Amino acid sequence: MKRYVKRGFSPVTSPFNENGDKRTVMNKLLLGLTPGEYLVQALRNPFNWVLAVIFAIGIPVLIGRFYYGLAWATSGSYDYPWGLFLGFGLFAMVPLSSSGFQLGTACEIFGRHDLEPIERLALLNGLLGYFFAVMYLLADLGQPWRLPYPMVVSFGPAAVLFLVAWHVATYLSVQVLEVSSAFFEWIGLPAGKAAVRRITLGLTVAGIILSTLHQGALGALFTYAPGKVHPLWYSSSFQWLHFFVSSLPGGLCMVITVSTIASKMMTWRGDVRFHKSLERCQISLAKGACMGIATYITIKLIGIAHDNKWSYLDTGWGQWFMLEIIVGFMLPLVLMTYGAHTKKIGIVRFGALLTVIGVVLNRVNTAMITFNWKLTEREIPPLREFIISIMLFATYIVVYRFILYRLPILYQWKAEEAVEPVTETEAALEPLPVRSRDGLPVGSYKSTTRLD
Amino acid sequence: MPSFRTFILAALALSLMATQAWSTSLPDSVTLNQNGKLYKPFSFDHAKHISLIKECSDCHHHTTGTLVTDPNCVRCHANSSPTAVVSCKGCHSSTPFSPATLAEKREAKGRYHLDKIGLKGAMHENCIGCHSKRSQGPVGCQECHPRTKDGDAFYNADKQARGPAAKHAKSE
Amino acid sequence: MKRRNFLKACVIGGATITLGKTNKGWASGSFEGYPEAMGVLVDTTRCIGCRSCEAACNKEQNLPEPETSFTDKSVFEENRRPTSTAYTVVNEYEKKASEGPVYRKIQCNHCNEPACLTSCFVNAYTKTKEGAVIYNPKICVGCRNCMIACPFNVPGYSYESATNPVVKKCILCYDTRLKNGRPPACVEICPQEALTFGHRADLVKLAHERIRENPERYYDHVYGEKEVGGTSWMYLSRVPFDKIGFDTTLSNDPIISNVKDFLGMVPMVLSIWPALFSGIHLLSKKEGHDDHGHHNEPGQEG
Repeated sequence: MKRYVKRGFSPVTSPFNENGDKRTVMNKLLLGLTPGEYLVQALRNPFNWVLAVIFAIGIPVLIGRFYYGLAWATSGSYDYPWGLFLGFGLFAMVPLSSSGFQLGTACEIFGRHDLEPIERLALLNGLLGYFFAVMYLLADLGQPWRLPYPMVVSFGPAAVLFLVAWHVATYLSVQVLEVSSAFFEWIGLPAGKAAVRRITLGLTVAGIILSTLHQGALGALFTYAPGKVHPLWYSSSFQWLHFFVSSLPGGLCMVITVSTIASKMMTWRGDVRFHKSLERCQISLAKGACMGIATYITIKLIGIAHDNKWSYLDTGWGQWFMLEIIVGFMLPLVLMTYGAHTKKIGIVRFGALLTVIGVVLNRVNTAMITFNWKLTEREIPPLREFIISIMLFATYIVVYRFILYRLPILYQWKAEEAVEPVTETEAALEPLPVRSRDGLPVGSYKSTTRLD
Repeated sequence: MPSFRTFILAALALSLMATQAWSTSLPDSVTLNQNGKLYKPFSFDHAKHISLIKECSDCHHHTTGTLVTDPNCVRCHANSSPTAVVSCKGCHSSTPFSPATLAEKREAKGRYHLDKIGLKGAMHENCIGCHSKRSQGPVGCQECHPRTKDGDAFYNADKQARGPAAKHAKSE
Repeated sequence: MKRRNFLKACVIGGATITLGKTNKGWASGSFEGYPEAMGVLVDTTRCIGCRSCEAACNKEQNLPEPETSFTDKSVFEENRRPTSTAYTVVNEYEKKASEGPVYRKIQCNHCNEPACLTSCFVNAYTKTKEGAVIYNPKICVGCRNCMIACPFNVPGYSYESATNPVVKKCILCYDTRLKNGRPPACVEICPQEALTFGHRADLVKLAHERIRENPERYYDHVYGEKEVGGTSWMYLSRVPFDKIGFDTTLSNDPIISNVKDFLGMVPMVLSIWPALFSGIHLLSKKEGHDDHGHHNEPGQEG
């Protein structure tokens, strides 16, 4: 793709091609290239070959999982009923997808319009994260075709999972609607976009509610197993808060990480507005994430103090716990605070990556590694379980990339040729003076001052 | 359970013989587990037990022989004379958990011996308990009553060789 | 415009509230079991480890053939748990004790307030009035949350089945026996009457009576009387219960009480958040700015 761009090719950004003719959907799908050109650039990308290998191995194994059953593909353990698919796929993907509601809130509720260049990426990140969490779930469920049962056939309303099911289902639809405005622009349905635009506030508020509840609910799921989760990862009173609060920096840092990768790997796709405001947006996100991490570390310590679990820190589990907290949360907190202060974007990005790893590690620890800590035997998932997990993650990357290539996420759609985007990009680029000066971490704290 | 009926019959036989014995003479041997389904009937050497133990009340509690000495039992049974019914079956129900027995127990709230073991349990506890306490006499199932063909099937006796230790019994 | 958005937010919030309100209703507090519930008292001091209960269960529930005979004592070398092919197992503990080993039968304890039941999002479990915790395989989605939740690690899952994997566990012989008032197969076959079947309330009294009359024979505790809100199956033992594989750290509160903090918070979030965030949105908008002020909307000033 880089080569085409170097040669003067400009990818699709408007419904019209260079000659002023309306583009076909096929033309848009191929990014304005001819099928031949498209194929050539796809084959030239070494990452596609890596993906091809993953799919070549992964797809047969996935088919095998449905043909031969879970016992063939997973550890099929009675003591560890939730393996990698849920421990990693569901429990780790969901917190990394909290970005959608956070940026939605910042932009739509708190009026942080300076973050808009990255808002759509955050919304998409949220949607895809959830969507693939559900994909992992489908791979894990014994009878995935019965997934709608809690909605239509039989209700277990006292169950936390019932809440999770309803909230994730509802929130997925909310996120589809939120992201759909980008799709409507691209496909050329302004009416659809206008309809979504009208209910944006409602969608955003619904998003906050649903996210608060089910991010917390995923944590609350573990309060069903008070003796099985290691006490350092468990708190009957605060478990849902731990999960909810850690999901906040998790989602923000995921957006920092993804936007960094996107700006490096698909530079051609981002427009001037995206590239120019990227660092500023990332630093804003990092500040928000720092607040989240600081809060998380605090409530985590309160959780330990509340049940007086200090003695556990002196065990092997305790060291593992310290590693998670220090490398996954404390170190990134320091790095991002420093990086945001000195505007060293590299340090911010590294800190964000560490946070993402920290959140994933926390979820995998809670759901798998420290689960059943009283049992003497630990179980390592078999190879096939890893293969399917990796393959599903690769699918996630492919879909992510497919959408970023096409929909106006990293660039702005020029619906009308007449309107030159210069004026509004400049307006968006200009950070609101009040905010950038005093550098408070999150927009939410500042936005109320706009009242004056 | 067919084995249950077996025990009833066995107990019945035992009790009949025992009562007759008391009125006439003590039986030298008693056939237990008659019509057993999982285990075959077998002959219980009463004479040998009499000569070894000598004290009837060791097995028959206060129903015959020396009066009870257990301080707890003495509270009520200090002056109890031997009862007319000596057999196990006379007191221990062969259907201790049937709806009728349970209902009857619920009615008789004032009764002291609510926790009375059933007939099968009483016999096994008595025999195995005493045998293991004295480290003398059979304690294994087949040492008293050999298994029948049905019993072999019931216990899957043909699968004797211990397979690989597959804890999670997964057929992969 | 403002007002319209606000109303919309309220409507959406309201809709979610009505949806969410039902969520708490079933989380009852101090349910102590059905008065007529049956139960089984396991007297481990009577058990001789003959494994007849395992064989009886296998036949009664039409389970697959065992790997080795039910007379095979070498299974005691390992610590087993109930599986999808064996609803009950007997383990051997205190192997070197001078009084001889202690055997313990493990199966579903049929809790008064079962964690599996409360954690199930399709309500596949039922606690019957007879005390059995039974399961409906027709609606189970296969999330296996019940296996996570069970404090006794009981439910098994037939992972081998590709098309119809289901949870497999002891159902107290509900279908074939219990609902007709008959004791489960394991109780009936037990030669030692180590298993006593009866009304749970009576069994509790009976268990304490046994301890009182034979203090030297029993450790003074009835496991299952109070653990996780009480279970239909209860145990007596010669030695402290942690020595024969019981989890003695379990609370006397049912598992669901751990979850109530969260469940109680749900309606609060549902009712407070919409108003709170809509309010903040209104506050954070400058007077005179009619629309959301989307800078990236073509033809709109920031």
